[in-house]
Amino acid sequence: MSVAVPLVEHFAGGLDAPICLTWELTYACNLACRHCLSSSGRRDPAELSTAEAKAVLDELQRMQVFYVNIGGGEPTIRPDFWELVDYATAQRVGVKFSTNGVRITPAVAERLAAGARGCGGVPRSGYVDVQISLDGATADVNDALRGEGSFAVAVRAMENLAGAGFAGFKLSVVCTRHNIPQLDSFQALADRYGAQLRLTRLRPAGRGADVWDELHPTAAQQHELYRWLLAHGERVLTGDSFFHLAGYGEALPGLNLCGAGRVVCLIDPVGDVYACPFAIHDAFRAGNVRDAGGFAAVWRSSELFRTLRGPQAAGACGVCSAYDACRGGCMAAKFFTGLPIAGPDPECVKGFGEPRLATVEPGSAPRPSPDHSRPAGVPVTLGRR
Amino acid sequence: METTAASPAPAAPPTDDEEEALVEEDLLVEDVSIDGMCGVY
Amino acid sequence: MSLLDQAWELAPQVAVRPEPFGALLYHFGTRRLSFLKDRRLLAVVEGLAQAPSAREACAGAGVSPSDMKAYERALARLAETDMLRERTS
Repeated sequence: MSVAVPLVEHFAGGLDAPICLTWELTYACNLACRHCLSSSGRRDPAELSTAEAKAVLDELQRMQVFYVNIGGGEPTIRPDFWELVDYATAQRVGVKFSTNGVRITPAVAERLAAGARGCGGVPRSGYVDVQISLDGATADVNDALRGEGSFAVAVRAMENLAGAGFAGFKLSVVCTRHNIPQLDSFQALADRYGAQLRLTRLRPAGRGADVWDELHPTAAQQHELYRWLLAHGERVLTGDSFFHLAGYGEALPGLNLCGAGRVVCLIDPVGDVYACPFAIHDAFRAGNVRDAGGFAAVWRSSELFRTLRGPQAAGACGVCSAYDACRGGCMAAKFFTGLPIAGPDPECVKGFGEPRLATVEPGSAPRPSPDHSRPAGVPVTLGRR
Repeated sequence: METTAASPAPAAPPTDDEEEALVEEDLLVEDVSIDGMCGVY
Repeated sequence: MSLLDQAWELAPQVAVRPEPFGALLYHFGTRRLSFLKDRRLLAVVEGLAQAPSAREACAGAGVSPSDMKAYERALARLAETDMLRERTS
């Protein structure tokens, strides 16, 4: 017996509701990471209110979205953060929140661990997971990207989570030219605190556009990363962000598919819905949750998402033997490096991206927008609360 | 949803590896980590 | 004893979402997502808790004898990944 349509085609064609999605709660942040995909720093005055946020969670429950990945900016500095996490889990929508660790005190860690232990049946707070962001296995490598003291804050958060018995939280790393030599060290760090390592791809999104040339892995490092990921199988998460590496021959675990607008999307702090968090730009904006019909109407009927769910032009990639595996790579990576969407990924493993990049006129690539970065020269302070 | 049997008969008896691959292809269930979806934080 | 002759049920931490192609199952404990590739398999899974055995759940969902092996493999995979657990009553 075989099924008529391959499963991956059902997902490429979109579902009636996302499987999970990213929700950036605030553009405010206590850090100013050089590569921030959401160009965060300053709170937007038009942020969704607590009531509006709860209305979104009500919709996600009705649509049976399994999981919301809450980020920002730094989501824990929103005053109603815990109220919203509790509301989400009460609606049986799972929550994983991404944090730099600034508010993960021993008391907070204890609360999270207690929830995870639960008391029989389906523990409501067993629905909550934590993801600590870190981009260097040592302070020098990390802080060069995320700011002085940020490594120490993240490690303290991990100590607190481990100390409270919260096992299996995520340590999430964006792979760069400077930290690819540290893969084994990241694994050791995760092991030390009982965390699961997550390695993800750097995209030229947000402030990442300004540092991408300097920080994206070299071709040799990309292949090294691929081999390392193959060797570590399903123990390491990737957010399926390396599906473009399937062009090397063997696919890594995951759907191996661009999920943007098809099975996932982004809701931003002011309610704008984008195809994915790496594509915060008008070209990938599908609508706003404040529009009539709310999030559900945007997901089901927006023009952008209908287009993404239709056949995609392979362009120059159509004749390549790797296309079936890599599907042309990441549209956000192509967009923000000035490449056509129908064509090779800038990091195409066959090497077709580089010559194409060379033809892009300097300064002509789209600029990320909106930009909530702090003005240059405003000091970043890490409050020890 | 109707399914049709479309697997061609192999010319020679399948090796253990081939047998396993056939079984995997026909499996009515696939699974992946919730983390295995690209376009998420 | 074959899995088909045992009584099964969905694990309590599993959420089920029907889809046109079959269904999505998400396990909040393992954080794994399973795709059921046909609607009849969804009917089987949903009928397991009430049926004395998996075989009877399959029959109840209209699984033909020639397809039974494929459904057994599917149920075995779901059991392997903790989506299903044996029922004690």
